Amino acid sequence: MSASYECDVSDLICPLSKLRATEAINNLAAGDTVRIILGDMESVKSVVQELKGRGMKPDFKQEGESRFILTVTRE
Amino acid sequence: MEARIEKEHVGKKPDHVLRVYADITELVAGPENPTPLVRLNRITESRDFQIYLKLERYNPFGSVKDRIAYQMLKELEVGERTVVEPSSGNTGIALVCLANAWGLAVEVAVPQRIPEEKKVMLRFLGAKKVWEADDSLCPRFPSEGARGLVDALVRSPATRDKYVSPNQYENELNVQAHYCTTGPEIWRQTHGEISYFFAGLGTCGTIVGAGRYLKEQNPEIKVIGVEPAASEHRLPGMKRLKGLAPEYIPKILDSSVIDDTVEVSDEEAYQTAVELARREGIPAGPTTGAILHAALNYARSHQGLAVVISPDDAFKYTSFYRDYLEGKAEESRFEDRK
Repeated sequence: MSASYECDVSDLICPLSKLRATEAINNLAAGDTVRIILGDMESVKSVVQELKGRGMKPDFKQEGESRFILTVTRE
Repeated sequence: MEARIEKEHVGKKPDHVLRVYADITELVAGPENPTPLVRLNRITESRDFQIYLKLERYNPFGSVKDRIAYQMLKELEVGERTVVEPSSGNTGIALVCLANAWGLAVEVAVPQRIPEEKKVMLRFLGAKKVWEADDSLCPRFPSEGARGLVDALVRSPATRDKYVSPNQYENELNVQAHYCTTGPEIWRQTHGEISYFFAGLGTCGTIVGAGRYLKEQNPEIKVIGVEPAASEHRLPGMKRLKGLAPEYIPKILDSSVIDDTVEVSDEEAYQTAVELARREGIPAGPTTGAILHAALNYARSHQGLAVVISPDDAFKYTSFYRDYLEGKAEESRFEDRK
């Protein structure tokens, strides 16, 4: 059964945010989803780059000026 | 009854003759307790260009970085926070040793590519955490993931109250430590007769601090900086500044102190370090090989007395030397077959 997780790293700047997000992604089982909440665009770019390197395409949503959400599912 | 050793040595000025000390930190080098200056006799044939190695491995924690770690940590307001620093190993080792002596906690961020021996040392010494950062980890610090990671720890809202960093790249005490100790030591040890000073480029504390002091004593002294010939290299602690955007150049660098910059390849550095060990009996790290290689080239066309900084010893790099020597053995086998 797939699960859904949240990884709120909005109070961390890059590359700490990227490290924590990467840990969360590594812990996903096939079919699991994680919502990664980031606090700045630099972190977003960095995490997206990491996901692209793994062949994962996240959904992106912005909520307000400094809340960015990447949702990604492990295949 | 209080022992005589206690009465005569604890709480007093360190006794560098009997070498009895109240604690390990008193052994950090300074003008009264200089690291050795050793003449090279067999690796160079030049009689007109004498080379002396300043053996920084004789600092208590094994490297030139003991000087700056001592100054920076002594002045740092730590409070309840954890000290964190990016390091290719030597600064980290020195900080952890000092912190152990003073009851502080230290975390160190190291590049993944440093020798395993240094990572083991940091764990052996009890660093609270050793972060390993890939060079490409941080887009804000290209090729310096460890530096980016520490910057994030001291600036992120979630962690900034828990960490404090000496920040050797921007801390003027890095320069001051060498201005007040390394420079005066060299001036006294050479009786003011030094004409060339060679040091590696990394954080640039050694070359700027010692170089500035020496030039103030005699503006004719030439200060030569040595940097890796490629940005990807196996010379931990050294940095290639050529081609770097201004924001990535260490803030403490004062280029006006440096008269010439020489590029040295890994091959040249490792080969020179091997020759230094085999011809002079001095087991030094590969950065010593790099700096000495530049001095040996100068010896072909210059005259005078040169002091070459030897940042550390060979023992922390045995795995790197193993790779180098195995590579050489492979080449030699290939040559034999030809």
